[in-house]
Amino acid sequence: MEELKNNGGAKQFIVIRVGEEQYGIDIKYVDNIIHMCSITRVPKVALYVKGVINVRGEVIPVMDIRTKMGLMEAEYTKNTRIVIVKSEQQGFVGLIVDAVKEVVTLEVDGIEKVSYDNKSGKTMFVTGVGKHQGSLISVLDLNEILTE
Amino acid sequence: MDVSQYLEIFLDETREHLQNLNTEILNLEQDPENEDTVNEIFRAAHSLKGMAGTMGYKRMQTLTHDMENVFSEVRNGTIKIKSHMIDILFQCLDALEEYTTNIQENSDEGTNDNEALIKLLNDCLKPDGAQEETPAPESTAGKPAAAASGGSKWSSIPLDEAQKLVLGEAVKQGKKVYGITVKVQESCILKAARAFLVFKAVEELGEILVSAPSAQDIEDEKFELDFSIIVITDSPLDRVLADIKSVSEIEEAEGAEMTDFGGTEEEAASPSSPAAEKAEKSKEKSVPAKTETAKASGAENAPAAKTGAAKQEKKSNTKAVGNRTVRVDIEKLDVLMNLVSELIIAKNSLVSATTTQEGRESNAAVDSQIEYLENVTTSLHESVMKVRMVPIESVVNKFPRMIRDLSKKLDKKMDLQMTGEETELDRTVVDEIGDPLMHLLRNSADHGLESAEVRAERGKPEVGSIFLNAYQDGNNVIIEVGDDGNGIDVENVKNKAIERGTVTPEQALNMTDKEIIDLLFLPSFSTAKEVTDVSGRGVGLDVVKSKIETLGGEVEVKTQLGEGSTWIIRLPLTLAIIQALMVEVGGEKYAISLNSVTTLENIAPSDVKLVQSEEVIHLRGSVIPLIRLNEVLDIESTRKENENMIVAIVKKGDKLAGLVVDKLMGQQEIVIKSLGKFVDKTRIISGATILGDGEVALILDANVLI
Repeated sequence: MEELKNNGGAKQFIVIRVGEEQYGIDIKYVDNIIHMCSITRVPKVALYVKGVINVRGEVIPVMDIRTKMGLMEAEYTKNTRIVIVKSEQQGFVGLIVDAVKEVVTLEVDGIEKVSYDNKSGKTMFVTGVGKHQGSLISVLDLNEILTE
Repeated sequence: MDVSQYLEIFLDETREHLQNLNTEILNLEQDPENEDTVNEIFRAAHSLKGMAGTMGYKRMQTLTHDMENVFSEVRNGTIKIKSHMIDILFQCLDALEEYTTNIQENSDEGTNDNEALIKLLNDCLKPDGAQEETPAPESTAGKPAAAASGGSKWSSIPLDEAQKLVLGEAVKQGKKVYGITVKVQESCILKAARAFLVFKAVEELGEILVSAPSAQDIEDEKFELDFSIIVITDSPLDRVLADIKSVSEIEEAEGAEMTDFGGTEEEAASPSSPAAEKAEKSKEKSVPAKTETAKASGAENAPAAKTGAAKQEKKSNTKAVGNRTVRVDIEKLDVLMNLVSELIIAKNSLVSATTTQEGRESNAAVDSQIEYLENVTTSLHESVMKVRMVPIESVVNKFPRMIRDLSKKLDKKMDLQMTGEETELDRTVVDEIGDPLMHLLRNSADHGLESAEVRAERGKPEVGSIFLNAYQDGNNVIIEVGDDGNGIDVENVKNKAIERGTVTPEQALNMTDKEIIDLLFLPSFSTAKEVTDVSGRGVGLDVVKSKIETLGGEVEVKTQLGEGSTWIIRLPLTLAIIQALMVEVGGEKYAISLNSVTTLENIAPSDVKLVQSEEVIHLRGSVIPLIRLNEVLDIESTRKENENMIVAIVKKGDKLAGLVVDKLMGQQEIVIKSLGKFVDKTRIISGATILGDGEVALILDANVLI
């Protein structure tokens, strides 16, 4: 494993696939990645909140990123995973993604900041775009995703 | 000497002493002659002085030393407590609290020498002119009246509960009770013999209940020239007095009928509990202007003596218990609580694992062990919950002082009555509930209670009364805070809301009174004309409501214009583990706290009636609204239209409702897991639990549904 801590130059990200695009989640927020499991529905919540699951004795709410981003819901495949992230305000939250690919290290300077004059659709959840081995990885803004 | 390691203990104990002093000085204000209170205060001040000295806090030591001096003199009887002294004492307490806070924050008591205060204390020590002879007797039982006028000495005989009960009964049966003082001639030599003859004479006519000095003392001639007795008889007073005087060498016999035993009848009904004490004390307080004969003062002193004795008992009880307590870090309790929760989940899984194994013979040994395990875990859970439960007393005992200060500040006479201080709540809840309660009390004092003139106009007593009652109701603790003041003026609130643009005039017309009152809970809402530092900023009620809701409770208000308002706070008792009824709705499993459930019914669809387009059922004489859970939870019911419905009757306070479910799954002890922020919005879902098979079931809050 390369440098595990941010030495100011590089950050590590978990790359996930949502639809056709790849997103990167800062690894320091990721607690766990589990296979898809049965989700208990919770009535009267936002559409993108699919319900709650049991992870090692804790009840964790689960959100579908596709829905949150405004995409059509997709069938869960054998690649679908739930990425469990932790934020200070929201505690633990599970994110349903189409697939989890790998861990990459991106140079901080190499991440281009995205300027959005019209925050619409998917762009508002992205803080920047990084390049890795020829493909683009959009850096996910976790706080935006987790806010209502 | 390095005392820093003792700092924690010092702070804890100082706080305790200061709280104690607070309570005792308040008591002293009401009852300046009470020796026990004075002793208690002296002891507390002395302990504080010792502790401060050991820790090296010179200023604190000096202040407490001077306080101790004052009290030493009071104990000796050289000086008496006056009302301005009480104010000085409270100021001393405030100064000590300031020192303590400084020590806590900076490990230093600060630089305030409080010289002015010390001077005031020392001024109290100077003897002031013509001390009034205290005509009332000291509150020690059995002592004959000191400088009372000779004739009414019998009226100062202290009576205990049992005796008052007997006297009360006698009066009810139509007998007469007389208090008589008998004076023996100065030249009499054999006083005891004469007294004995008097007793004999009286006993021909009736019964002597009590005498002062005691019968034994009289026989031993331990009295000067007179003694007093209380007699129950059918004969007229004159006859009794005549018979007494007929004994030789009796100088004088004087007496009168006793009918008033200072409110004993009501008291006699209940055992001498602290509550009865307080109720009676307040009765005395609220009737200060009654100028009765020495009879009344005699009766009053008897209860005062009893209050002193009972209080001492109560205090010595708490002292005894106090020696057997251990201070425990809250975090350790939390860890313990979590472990117990995990244990229960594991137990549930175990139960589920053994019962779902089909085809296996049920292993009797395993089953019985599992049952035993269940018993033990339930007991363990209950014990740990008890450990975390703390009486709200620790929070509410600072309120009387606050009300007293408010009373002076707002220039309105007010009085706080509290009941149920021993009601227990989880420790975390108790910590949080103090502020909301304080706010509600201040509201009552500031907005609720009217000025003295308005109260007089309305025929209300000059002293406004504010009350705080706490009691348990099922799985909840209810705290009521109220006053007998003006109540909430709905029109006023409505107009204010329209004025501020919160609602339009049309909306306001359609709102029920309750909805209008709910507007008060909005941030920045206040109908006060001006902002004082007590209230009026409009920042309070919404904070109260949100704090209480964070604790899982709710708050509502009942009010009557001109009569007063009552704020009712409902808080859940146990936070983490409950007995639940497991039900199925639309194929999904849900849990309902068993404490809310009263009965389970099977209802035919034809029994459902419509009242104002709401479904109701008629059950055993009451009309109960029906709530279809499948509708509330946005899911299809698995039952057909014409099938009988399973209805769980739930109750909240005195309101009932019927929850329609599809299936009943049984009863289970479950651990409540919080759901996280995302799903907090749904008030009907109060949490989730993990079932034995790993599935998550949501917990329905019946209180929200009703």
